[in-house]
Amino acid sequence: MSTIFWEISKRNIRLHMLRSSLAMLGIIIGVVAIASMGILGNSMVQAVSASLSSVGDSVIVMPYVGGGMGFGGGGGGSSANLMLTDQNYQQIKRVVAPNVAIPVHSTSEHMRMGVGSDDIVATIYGLPPDQTKDILPDLSAGDYNNGNSGCLVGATFATDHNVKVGSRISIGTDGQYGTLRVTGIIKERGMSFDISTDNAIVVTKDWFESTYSDQDQYNEVVVKVTSGDTADVKTTIENQLNRNIKQKTVTVIDSKATLATIYQTFGTITTFVTAIGGISMLVAGVSIFNIMMMSVNERIKEIGIMRSIGTQKKEVMSMFIYEAAIIGVAGSLIGGVLSLLGGYAISALMLKTTQYLFTLSSMLSVVEGVSFGIVICILCGLYPAWQAANLNPIDALRHE
Amino acid sequence: MTLESLPGEDPPVLVFRDVVKVYPLPAGDVTALDHISFTVDRGEFISIMGPSGSGKSTLLNLMGCLDTPTSGDIFIGGTRIGDMSDIELTNLRRDHIGFIFQYFNLFPLLNVIENVNFPQMLKSRSKVDEKKAVTVLRAVQLDEHLYVHTPLELSGGQQQRVAIARALINDPDILLCDEPTGNLDSKTGASILELMAELNRNGTTIIVVTHDPRVASYTSRTIQIVDGRIEP
Repeated sequence: MSTIFWEISKRNIRLHMLRSSLAMLGIIIGVVAIASMGILGNSMVQAVSASLSSVGDSVIVMPYVGGGMGFGGGGGGSSANLMLTDQNYQQIKRVVAPNVAIPVHSTSEHMRMGVGSDDIVATIYGLPPDQTKDILPDLSAGDYNNGNSGCLVGATFATDHNVKVGSRISIGTDGQYGTLRVTGIIKERGMSFDISTDNAIVVTKDWFESTYSDQDQYNEVVVKVTSGDTADVKTTIENQLNRNIKQKTVTVIDSKATLATIYQTFGTITTFVTAIGGISMLVAGVSIFNIMMMSVNERIKEIGIMRSIGTQKKEVMSMFIYEAAIIGVAGSLIGGVLSLLGGYAISALMLKTTQYLFTLSSMLSVVEGVSFGIVICILCGLYPAWQAANLNPIDALRHE
Repeated sequence: MTLESLPGEDPPVLVFRDVVKVYPLPAGDVTALDHISFTVDRGEFISIMGPSGSGKSTLLNLMGCLDTPTSGDIFIGGTRIGDMSDIELTNLRRDHIGFIFQYFNLFPLLNVIENVNFPQMLKSRSKVDEKKAVTVLRAVQLDEHLYVHTPLELSGGQQQRVAIARALINDPDILLCDEPTGNLDSKTGASILELMAELNRNGTTIIVVTHDPRVASYTSRTIQIVDGRIEP
């Protein structure tokens, strides 16, 4: 590094401290905007990823609702049109073998924790006891329920209603469906494609069918894919059950593909908000360009003197690039530090958690923001520097 | 191309041979220098005089390798400058020519020592002889306590002494001065001219472009230029 030109650049920035600081402020804002938005986007992806990851490789089969065309007949009313028949289930079970197909009943129901307690409305899922563990592999307390007098409860449900293993829940508005004893508490699962148990209770299939006389009709069938690819399983089910294109029977959701789409969507959102941050960086770049042009115009005579006593064009150019780089590096590094604070604040406000702030992808956002800031500054300093270097020494010396 | 000289003899420091400089302008070509020829030998102290618009500035620019002639040859230290690239001309200015300007033209962001060392740093970034700057500053009789001051803290005469020291630091073949006393009071101007005369006595070749006859009185030869031609 040519120390004298570096020194002149530093001193010129110090001489015009206010102007340089304002340009630096623009870069700081640009870096903070880009990096904070990046941190927010990445934190969102990771938060969603953490809550969805427990789903694993599942394919969820639901009654076809598109275009208002249902299947199964009878019963009248739209609810009957939103159920899978046992025949559908048997077909699914057969085509997805050796993967496990689990029929799921569900309904909303009134319930109370004890005599005199408040009426609660929550979802009740009915699952075959021998397959419950396939969908819900983790309990935070207690054990699985094998009998018709017991149930499992979701983590949020348990916390909100102070439910423990052994607690009793009275089902129905007046308790007309009897009382169930809590045998276990399901570990928090977050959002899921198959069943959302956090604020629900899970009973046996038999209890559900006998209570609601709802035999041979299921709300959905969950296929846990342990053999083969989820996309293949989805296609197999669709080929088998939706042969009639005009009258489809089922809607099949591939959790893995849906997850990928969600990540892609979040990626797009992150890119979009980061691009908005990028606009502020471009504005900052224009401000750098402006002060560099001012710097060149103020120092035309100095440039003429330098050139006349033997300074090469590239040395004049380096002096102005150093100046832009000093502003860029300092502004970007300060912006990088502040963007961590900004990312912390935005994550805390919008995601209610800051646990994803110091992850690799969030840190990469900061590195990207800082690098972008430095590159923009140097690029915006290039033209003024080039112009300074290519001034005619005779004209520059005459400049007043 | 190099200038031929007798064996064992140094070539002249500066040779102008039939030099023409024409500026093409929309209203028609302007001939600033019209077939100029002269030679400056090592150790001479020459003044170039002429009225405004006579071509002094053009001549100065050509002598300082800031410009190239339309036709004719210019030799600096025996080397022809006509075909040189910008990089070569810049190196020639750095290594062989010392500039002294009417308005001193020191770098305001650098202190005295840094200003004087600047051409040295251009020549050799890694090997700057710090003692040399002090030696040269002593030669131009600048008080040592001023070495760390910036140009704006110095008087005009002191600034011109620093400018002379800066011009001398790379041991140039020619010291090229453009109205060196034009911005100084007569007493200070006289002291600067005394200094230049002393430098010349010590072997430095000096060319002064001026329209001040008092400056010319210090020199050993005067070239008069009128309408782009040398007066006989």
